[in-house]
Amino acid sequence: MPGSIDQQARARRFEAEAVEALLAGYRPLPGVYDEMVDAEGRPRDHWTPMLAALAEMGAEEVERRFTAADRHLHRSGVFYRVYDDPSGGERPWPLSHLPLVIGAAEWRDLARGLVQRAQLLEAVLADLYGEGGLVRSGAMPAAAVAGSPEFLRPLKGVDPHGGSFLKLYAADLGRAPDGRWWVLSDRTQSPSGAGYALENRIAVARALPDLARTLNVVRLAGFFQSLRASLTRLDRSGEGRVGLLTPGPLNETYFEHAYLARYLGFVLLEGEDLTVRDNAVYVRTVAGLKRADVLLRRLDADFADPLELNSRSRLGVPGLVQAVRAGGVAMVNALGSGLVEAPAMMSFLPKIGPEVLGETLRLPNIATWWCGQQAERETVLGALDDLVVAPAFGRTMPGLMAQGARLGADLKLMERIELEHAIRSRGVDFVGQEAVHLSTMPVWRQGRLEPRPFILRIFLAATEEGWQVMPGGFCRVSDSSDSRAVTMQRGGRSADVWVLDEGPVEQTTLLPAVGRVDVRRQTGPLPSRAADNFFWLGRYVERAEATLRLVRTLAGRLSSSTEGGGGSVGRLLGLLDNWGAVPADMSRARPARFAIAALTRRDLGGALPGLIEAARNTASVIRDRLSPDAWRTLADLAVAMGEPVPLAAAEPEVYERADRSLRALAAFSGLASENMNRLSGWRFLDLGRRIERAIATCRFTRALVSETTQAGTLDVLLELCDSQITYRSRYVMVEAHAPVVDLVLLDPVNPRSLAFQIDRIAEHLEDLPGHGGDEPPKPEERLAARLAAAMKAHEPDDFDGERLLKIEHQLMELSNDISERYFIHRSPVETPWEQLA
Amino acid sequence: MKYDIHQTTAYGYAYPVPVARHVVRMVPVDRPRQRVVASRFTVEPEPVEWTESFDFFGNRVAHIRIESAHTSFTVRTQARVEVDPADLPDPEATPAWEAIRQSVAESLDLGPDSPVHHIFPSPLVRICEEITVWTAESFPAGRAVLDGAVDLMERLHREFTYDSKATEVTTPPEEAFAMRRGVCQDFAHIMIAGLRGLGLPAAYVSGFLRTEPPPGKERLQGADATHAWLAIWCGTQSGWQGLDPTNALRVSTDHVVLALGRDYSDVAPVGGVLVGSGRQKLRVEVDVVPILDPPAAPAKPDRARRPPA
Repeated sequence: MPGSIDQQARARRFEAEAVEALLAGYRPLPGVYDEMVDAEGRPRDHWTPMLAALAEMGAEEVERRFTAADRHLHRSGVFYRVYDDPSGGERPWPLSHLPLVIGAAEWRDLARGLVQRAQLLEAVLADLYGEGGLVRSGAMPAAAVAGSPEFLRPLKGVDPHGGSFLKLYAADLGRAPDGRWWVLSDRTQSPSGAGYALENRIAVARALPDLARTLNVVRLAGFFQSLRASLTRLDRSGEGRVGLLTPGPLNETYFEHAYLARYLGFVLLEGEDLTVRDNAVYVRTVAGLKRADVLLRRLDADFADPLELNSRSRLGVPGLVQAVRAGGVAMVNALGSGLVEAPAMMSFLPKIGPEVLGETLRLPNIATWWCGQQAERETVLGALDDLVVAPAFGRTMPGLMAQGARLGADLKLMERIELEHAIRSRGVDFVGQEAVHLSTMPVWRQGRLEPRPFILRIFLAATEEGWQVMPGGFCRVSDSSDSRAVTMQRGGRSADVWVLDEGPVEQTTLLPAVGRVDVRRQTGPLPSRAADNFFWLGRYVERAEATLRLVRTLAGRLSSSTEGGGGSVGRLLGLLDNWGAVPADMSRARPARFAIAALTRRDLGGALPGLIEAARNTASVIRDRLSPDAWRTLADLAVAMGEPVPLAAAEPEVYERADRSLRALAAFSGLASENMNRLSGWRFLDLGRRIERAIATCRFTRALVSETTQAGTLDVLLELCDSQITYRSRYVMVEAHAPVVDLVLLDPVNPRSLAFQIDRIAEHLEDLPGHGGDEPPKPEERLAARLAAAMKAHEPDDFDGERLLKIEHQLMELSNDISERYFIHRSPVETPWEQLA
Repeated sequence: MKYDIHQTTAYGYAYPVPVARHVVRMVPVDRPRQRVVASRFTVEPEPVEWTESFDFFGNRVAHIRIESAHTSFTVRTQARVEVDPADLPDPEATPAWEAIRQSVAESLDLGPDSPVHHIFPSPLVRICEEITVWTAESFPAGRAVLDGAVDLMERLHREFTYDSKATEVTTPPEEAFAMRRGVCQDFAHIMIAGLRGLGLPAAYVSGFLRTEPPPGKERLQGADATHAWLAIWCGTQSGWQGLDPTNALRVSTDHVVLALGRDYSDVAPVGGVLVGSGRQKLRVEVDVVPILDPPAAPAKPDRARRPPA
């Protein structure tokens, strides 16, 4: 019998010893609740299976698995942007690998409390933007509402589309030393983090796959399906188009916007993509204007419409508020929902709750006193040492609260005097809050467990069946062991949250769910802005490639002793110069210096760093449409461009560097085109590449071919056009004018030839919206047809400099025609204001 | 008093603008002491969309979309407005400023006329310590609120220089304050910033000022601009009291209210966005003609405080 009582008991004892060893050095902080162990240091029941599993794996194995999770995050391109970083850099997502484990019963309580709170906040919003009975009856002073920058006056009296303000709600919670959970803050504007929670789950589940299964961890997919269904239902036009409105790639959580849009099958949109006509919102696409009836916004409401809200916003959609007022678009959450995030609200909610809902609140928020009221102000001033003072209407405020809330006890004497004065003169701006000590959860550090304070964020979605709680969440875990909530405002790592079910979890696994969502995904017409970026991404990448070929060929010629002259070095330098890849002031430098300049100079638009940066920037705004691998390749290349090349570098080093970069670019092109379906996005990317390559081929030929051309120079042209092998395989002879020109320009099967590019361009144009079929040919189509005809009608000798130059100009015209037809998004400018005198 | 107001605001563009969207607040409405007898409002070129409504503060707003290429955009308003004299309370008889501050903080009125909207920082008026400290000199403990505010207005009028070259429409009040220079808009913003710094409610008012000709001369046509001043809340008894720091005047029948809000951004006569490039030129003409019935009385020759254009 494999499972005799005796063996089982031994196994249990062994397990208990291993767990004990794992916990040996774990010391909870004094006076603080620990999630994993009780006051006596014994592991809590719902943590033991995980501890046992970790103990059994051993430190090395655990370490290995956690590294694998990090690799997964890196490969998936999970990053966040750091606002404070002057270089605007992105950082790897800091995952604390051990999840927070929450038992079923406790979770049920939490969920019930949060649903109730969501209902309360909805009711408060409905009242404050509607009847206003809460203020009139004295439940809340008017200034506690009017002081919030999120009290959007243009939305007063406007009924929210679909009948409710909130479709998505999140709360930050902390657990007090007595074991009770408290709401620390509410997120109603546009709660962030659900996408990160999803990524955390995937990464951690990869590291600990068996564990997630045996522990019956509840899955997240169902929640997102409900959210998706609930938003799709708001779409009255029935076209199924839901957009995720992002402030753009400079936002710190842009990755999450792109990720969620992709996961939920929504179009990722920026303000520029949208236009308002006759009180409805439209996306500018390559196939014309298409209705967008539902916008899940990650843009703060204040920025949503420069006409009626923040007039300095460059991120919004002019006229959006008017469309909202007319019921032409559903904003999720409704514009103005951020009002109830204000800390000032928390001082009134505990009293309002029972009045509004007719039941006591299950989940308290931390005790808060709004200093606009005389009695409350005196309370706060009298107990300043024990309280946290926070801005009443936001996270920060100029002056003492520039970095956020302050603990009274932490204030220096002068600061304290200053703060007391400020509270006395403008009490309306401040709240006092109870100073909360957070509970701790374990983090894995160098093979050991250590307790760290954390804040738990939980997400809720309003669905047809009422509020649904995401069974999981997102922990922000502090890097230090200071458990005061007020110090948790920045930094730290994030952790997954595992909610344990009592029975086995239904296998609606996350990954098939992703597939299911994707299958239903409406690819829909490509937004113009995305098309524009694809097109230019193609052009920049191709231009970078051409420049690298020039540099590599130049370095090759310089290092080869057999360089036959024919002035090819001079012509290569001339080409680099024409492209603005080398500085004008170094005509007397040795040619290798030119090559180095083209590789490294950041100040020259035509040099490699600038081109790669342009490509990366372009790619960054269509990141949701690129494969993560393709994006990484490009991002890595941009980093590699920053590596210095020693000024004294010899030609072989330059050659090697150019060669390496060319390979990276080739990898990007391969990944970008292989992993994209053959829809409009790919067509625009390829159109850009083809046009750019065609132009480069003309320029190369113009510079290198003339009456007096020597064989050596023709060889350079073949190298630049990557056609040496083909030539050698066809002609057993030294390079001669007509065959070389034929191969480089006219040969329709050479994928590097001008004719080949032109054929591809014509094909793409035919397949774009508004072309082909019965449509009369558009200017760009006629132009492509003329070019193709010229390729067929002429012989190699006909292509002199003049003809090539004409073709170049036609290609540029073609590029302009495409831009004018498809890239109809435009950044609007403001009407200047009249100065009142 | 009865006035005929003509206002023309014209934008000229260096290149044709294919698409534009505007928000226009150029028609006065009925307010306490003020009745709009008749008004007319036209826009060129012809908009494809035109929606009129009242904003939160009760200002009349037109939302306009133009979709034909145009090189100029012109708004014309005509209005006949009657203004009753204000019941100007004795400044010293108004409540102490600290009492006003506390009563507003605890007010239970969230409606559009409530002072609670005007004690907080607003898009163009932040609370600035230097201005607050300077303002506090007019508000010793217990001083009547309007008494302090009138004193502040007179100090501003004395210490600041009217200078149309010193500032632009977007100059923040703290900069104009540092220069001690500006135009009516800057002066109104500075006073508002200072009063709010003390927790007092101050609203921004745009409108028109009766302009009288210098003795013996024709009235200048179109020489005037849209004017701005502020209103301070003096408690339920006295309500909102208008103060014009540019002219050191308490507001009565010389002022016609066009719009009011928290600061200029709430009342900007024309806002908008358009697709286009190149320079935009703006020209504004305002005429405020008093209608004197019975027939024109002679203008007062001794009017010392002619408002700057």
